[in-house]
Amino acid sequence: MTTTSSQPLFDSAFLRKLDRLALLTRRAMVGDIQGERRGPRRGSSVEFADFRPYVRGDDIRQIDWNLYARMERFFLKLFVAEEELTIHLLVDNSASMDWGDPHKLTYARRLAAAFGYVALSTLDRVTVTAFAAGASAQLRGVRGKAGALPLFAFLQRLQPGGAGDLVDACKRYARTAINPGPLILCSDLLDPRWEDALRALGSRPFEITLLHILAPQELRPQLDGDFRLLDAETGEAVEITADLETLQRYQDHLREWQDAIERFCHGRGITYVQVDTAQPVEEFILTMLRQRGVLR
Amino acid sequence: MSLLTPLALLSALVVGPLIVAMYLLKLRREQRRVSSTFLWQRMVRDVEANAPWQRLRRNWLLFLQLLLLLLLAIALARPFFLTTGISGRNLIIIIDRSASMAATDVPPSRLEAARRQAQTLVDQLPEGGRATIIAVGGQMEVVAASTTDRRQMYDAIRSLTPNVGSRSDLSQALALATALAAREPDSEVAIISDGNVEIPTDIRVPATVRYFPVGQRAENVAISAMALQPGPAGQTLFVQVTNYGPAPVSRRLDLYLDGALFNAYELNFGPDGAADAIQTVIADVPAQVRVAEARLSGAPAADFLPSDDRAWAVSPAGAGVEVRIVGPGNRFLETALALLPGITATKTTTTTVSGGAAPQITIFDRVTPDTLPTGNLLFIAPMRSTTLFSVTGVVDFPLLRPAPIIIEGQAPPLLRNVSVSEVNVLRAMRIETGIWARTLVEGDGSPMLLAGEREGRRIVVLAFALQDSDLPLQVAFPLLVSNSIGYLAPGSGLEASQIAPGQPLVVAVDPAVTAVRIVRPDGRVDAAQIQGGQAIYADTDALGPYLIEQVRDNQVVEQRRFAINLFTPEESRIAPASELRVPQVSGLQQAVTREQVGRQEIWRWLAAAAILIVVIEWLVYQRSSLAYLRQRVRLALAARRRPA
Repeated sequence: MTTTSSQPLFDSAFLRKLDRLALLTRRAMVGDIQGERRGPRRGSSVEFADFRPYVRGDDIRQIDWNLYARMERFFLKLFVAEEELTIHLLVDNSASMDWGDPHKLTYARRLAAAFGYVALSTLDRVTVTAFAAGASAQLRGVRGKAGALPLFAFLQRLQPGGAGDLVDACKRYARTAINPGPLILCSDLLDPRWEDALRALGSRPFEITLLHILAPQELRPQLDGDFRLLDAETGEAVEITADLETLQRYQDHLREWQDAIERFCHGRGITYVQVDTAQPVEEFILTMLRQRGVLR
Repeated sequence: MSLLTPLALLSALVVGPLIVAMYLLKLRREQRRVSSTFLWQRMVRDVEANAPWQRLRRNWLLFLQLLLLLLLAIALARPFFLTTGISGRNLIIIIDRSASMAATDVPPSRLEAARRQAQTLVDQLPEGGRATIIAVGGQMEVVAASTTDRRQMYDAIRSLTPNVGSRSDLSQALALATALAAREPDSEVAIISDGNVEIPTDIRVPATVRYFPVGQRAENVAISAMALQPGPAGQTLFVQVTNYGPAPVSRRLDLYLDGALFNAYELNFGPDGAADAIQTVIADVPAQVRVAEARLSGAPAADFLPSDDRAWAVSPAGAGVEVRIVGPGNRFLETALALLPGITATKTTTTTVSGGAAPQITIFDRVTPDTLPTGNLLFIAPMRSTTLFSVTGVVDFPLLRPAPIIIEGQAPPLLRNVSVSEVNVLRAMRIETGIWARTLVEGDGSPMLLAGEREGRRIVVLAFALQDSDLPLQVAFPLLVSNSIGYLAPGSGLEASQIAPGQPLVVAVDPAVTAVRIVRPDGRVDAAQIQGGQAIYADTDALGPYLIEQVRDNQVVEQRRFAINLFTPEESRIAPASELRVPQVSGLQQAVTREQVGRQEIWRWLAAAAILIVVIEWLVYQRSSLAYLRQRVRLALAARRRPA
């Protein structure tokens, strides 16, 4: 299935709704330049953080004179630094995502766009990375509402690639990423080594949210008869005789797999959200993600 | 097993590869692109690890189709087995349904086995073949007459019921079969029996006679005789039990008097033929006992004929016979009559009979009346001719011997146990009679003892006076008197209260009696026909005691009892015969027993199996729909249960 790049990701009404949302972070993150989020460092803002004794070389403008009057010693008054965050959006555009009805990659694109837009509207920096063999692309550090257009354009241009090595991509990203921050991974995770991939991302202090995107055809396959199933990425074939029993066993396996991912994520502080592409994107973002505490 | 049309198997060679080829074509599965086979692979791995035979599942349909093809091809080839059976087109089945066929050694009974055999024979009948089914045992019955309708044959076979207590005489049936077989060229006679049958020797059956023996075991203990007669202390009960089986056996004999248990005896029998194979029990019982019943119990495995394990005897008391002796007086006769139970004898010397009801029997001893009284008559040495016979002279020193017609057949009731050849006679009357009389004993060409019926009454004539012979001094005399009274007064005396099954009950009734009721052993009440001073009741197939009541103006004026028992050693001896002597026109003396000429085709079974396979194949093909349906039903049931 080919994507229609001309199709807009959102309409304006939905964008207005997105304006009211903000990305939640559970802890303070280090940023590069001043922004709207509390950083772990002390800086110049209106919010008081701490006092510390004056040592030579400190800026005397920050000495709290009221305290000096009381204690006759020099103290510096420290304020919380408000910094911008880098939101990492990882979009899996491997061939396995180029499947399903509603289309998984389109869904991932729209989710990424929504998250990016929310981040941009709170003056955060957004980095979008798509990994797939032959179609990897990256959009670095767009910032502010003005960055929304390049972001959307980038996502719309995004083409599905070939077989993507999820583990390799995640390892590479963990190595190269600057300013670890909230990371949103949009993938179907259909890779036998999905655990390694998540582990690789977990090696850096990212605050990971995994959006596990599966099409209804994967969640509830409707097959009857003898089939030769071809893998979209590897071309590998599996012969099955689909009957009710087989399908039931498939669903049992699927549920087991999802449970395994959830357990894994829970143990590593990863927010795991299951996405069924049959659910409209708007509804999913506005209700589901708020319920799960990913957005506010 | 052989095949009628083996070439049909070639069809399997043609269609078989076709099915396989179609299957291989069908095996090219529909290709479907999926996002990833990751999950499917896991599942398939799991399934194949769990059950290796799952791999075979997809081949079920092929397997079933090939099986179906094989079955149909074999059915088309029409395989058959050779069995004992028939090969002719006109079949005459003679089924024995006599008492011995009720034996249970072939469960449920020999008759049932015979029925099955008959059905098999009808099955083997070629298309358009005719069959006649004759049931022997008691009254011969043609239950299906030369029919081609198989349903009628099956119905006829099914309608056969055992005729308890009847002898099986094949002469009538074989005569009929001979006549039928002579009419049609391709005839066969099948005799299904246990072999305890009487077969005439003078017959030549113009067809192949096949004998299908039924029965396996010979063990049977039977009550072979039973009587209740006046004795010194009230009455004496006499029971004779015989072991007809080949092995020694012990049984218990229970005696019931008027329904209540009286005594039980443990009896040990030797094998059949041994001296102790027959055991006799004699018991004194009270005078008021009406019905005595004997039952054999214990060790049922050694007894395969239950119908002869029960017997009944009824008290002769109350069944009196009036006898009037007319003559100068005869001590021998009076003594002999006095010995008989239930006889009231009156003496008179006048030959003219005064009015009033005539007695049942009138004996004219050396006198001849002018007018004959009513009732049955016994003449002893008549001096003059009467309307019944004429006396033409005297025979001196006749040599007595039984009449030739008697020698061949069975002894008539009058001469039962009587031997006349040692009787010496001084002088006898030469008597000539009409055709009504039958000569039983003759001497020097002149009849010495005559018996017959004329104008509705029975007459016996003895040609010599008792004083002119040594007959009264011989054992034969009281027996002859007893037999004569039994003959002249049917339904009286010891002998008469015991009747074989199927024989009619005959009771002399008073003209004033309006109705005669019969109380059968099962309690049912029947009415008997009254004709010419006699009540006749013929429905006596059931064993047991019968009570006959004569009713006048709604009042029972007289009661009489009869016991119907199966005292036939030929039927109680149930050992099956493996050979049957039936002379045939072809020169064979023996019925053909175990020749395998019947052709049992089995294509019907194969076709039925093929239908079954088709059903199974359809189910296998639709298994996923069925599973879906089952799930739907389960969900529906669960949904219904929840609100409740």
